[in-house]
Amino acid sequence: MNYIIDIFLIAISAALINNFVLYYFVGICPFIGVSRNVDMAFGMGCAVTFVITIAALISWTITTFVLIPGAPVTSFLAGLVLPAEQASGIDLTILSYIVYIFAISSSVQFVEMYVRKFFPPLYKSFGVFLPLITTNCAILFACLTIMSNVAVDNPEEAWDLGRALILAIFGGVGFTIAIVIMAGIREELDLCDIPKPLQGAAITLITAGILAMAFMGFTGVDTGLKNALNPPDEQQIVQQTNSDDSIKLAEQGKNRTAGGF
Amino acid sequence: MSLTLVTIALAAGTLLVMALVLTYILGWANVAFHVEVDPRIEAVLDALPGANCGGCGMVGCGEYAEAVVNDGAPVDLCAPGGASCAAAIGNIMGVEVEETAPIRPIVHCGAYLEDRLGRNEYLGEKTCAAATNVAGVQGCVYGCLGFGDCVAACPYDAIHIRDGLSDVDYYKCVGCGACARACPRNIISIEPFKVDKILAVLCSNKDDGKAVRSVCKAGCLGCKLCAKQCDLFSVDNNLSCLIYDDYDPDNVEDILKAKEKCKRNRIEFVGKEEDDQNNND
Repeated sequence: MNYIIDIFLIAISAALINNFVLYYFVGICPFIGVSRNVDMAFGMGCAVTFVITIAALISWTITTFVLIPGAPVTSFLAGLVLPAEQASGIDLTILSYIVYIFAISSSVQFVEMYVRKFFPPLYKSFGVFLPLITTNCAILFACLTIMSNVAVDNPEEAWDLGRALILAIFGGVGFTIAIVIMAGIREELDLCDIPKPLQGAAITLITAGILAMAFMGFTGVDTGLKNALNPPDEQQIVQQTNSDDSIKLAEQGKNRTAGGF
Repeated sequence: MSLTLVTIALAAGTLLVMALVLTYILGWANVAFHVEVDPRIEAVLDALPGANCGGCGMVGCGEYAEAVVNDGAPVDLCAPGGASCAAAIGNIMGVEVEETAPIRPIVHCGAYLEDRLGRNEYLGEKTCAAATNVAGVQGCVYGCLGFGDCVAACPYDAIHIRDGLSDVDYYKCVGCGACARACPRNIISIEPFKVDKILAVLCSNKDDGKAVRSVCKAGCLGCKLCAKQCDLFSVDNNLSCLIYDDYDPDNVEDILKAKEKCKRNRIEFVGKEEDDQNNND
């Protein structure tokens, strides 16, 4: 049950609350560049979601089994020539950037071939933006987020593949939501009488800024959901044991309120 | 063996293994997702100038190349490429191409600012497209406005406004026709230049002689003196017009006679200066 709640929270957080584009401001290039009409924006969102998922799969696997200190493959290979305690301390996380870029560019290349074969009109409308996914920082950001959650001190808290994939998929979904909303607004903006100094890039950036502010309304939803979904067990125990001691209960309540916020 | 050496070896090994695995996957995908592209499209694209000017009516050279190969579009639509380009595409597609004269624009207005009457100060947006909709910018509602929509449209910097009148630089012009499409008054026509310098009637005013006199010191009055001298002129709607289909550059004596007869000097040579041409050669 806890696991499902955790997955749910990661999904909501990646898609809406900590939206890659509108909260962290990564992946702005396609967000501005391919948001001219809704169809293309949706196609771009799907491509990014697909690439981000493959990249997350590869990067989680490599991070868990090779890069972090005490990773199985690294420890085993190093253990052949080094004493065990030294072997399990080898930290290859310095390789993370190069490995992730490697994985991302390969999966983009793969997607490009796939789209070209099976969706020629989509391939044509993407133009230069499909290869640009390679340098889309949203994807590298997802990989690095996964790494920071895998390479934690306590192995119990390290993310498993399910959590990593959920983050990636819903990060992609969040990107799609943001870019489709943006494309819808820009389609309407084409019909508006925009003052000359604001035409073009200026009004686009202002729109993006206002959109980001609107998404700030989601802030705190994850904390609220967490509190709602995790039944506060301690509270019940405390209430049962100290039901006759009103002063202690009040103190507990006060502490909980302070801690919760 | 030291820790450092092992770490370096493992790092190198990781990247090597990744490279091998991903190369294998991509190599497989390259074969599995192979797309057959007509090699002629590539060849036609190479033969085109690649200016993406849109003169052929397509979005760019890529689309024109596809249209030629897939839809059988004419091979001689590319004006910037000219005859040599058409011949090259014809070679690729296996069709014969007739030798055609290069096409160039002619601005059918010869009135400079001092020739135009009834011109007022215009404070609106400085484009011909906007000004043509406003009454009273200048007396002549047919002639060049001089705000330079054609200049903005030209991708080759081959047309400029000189003394209020569009002036084509025939040394730079490749005949893409962007200026003719941009002109809101349709005074620029695209004609075949069988030689570097041809004769043209430089006026577009279709009003009668009295009305023309009242708005322009230079415009064609529709007097038909030229048509009496030479069959190539037709005068419709009070405007003389040279018919280029039968224009023979080696036999222009009749037209030169008509040019001398014209009271308003509206028949003039346009194109490259022959002297300059000799110097360049």
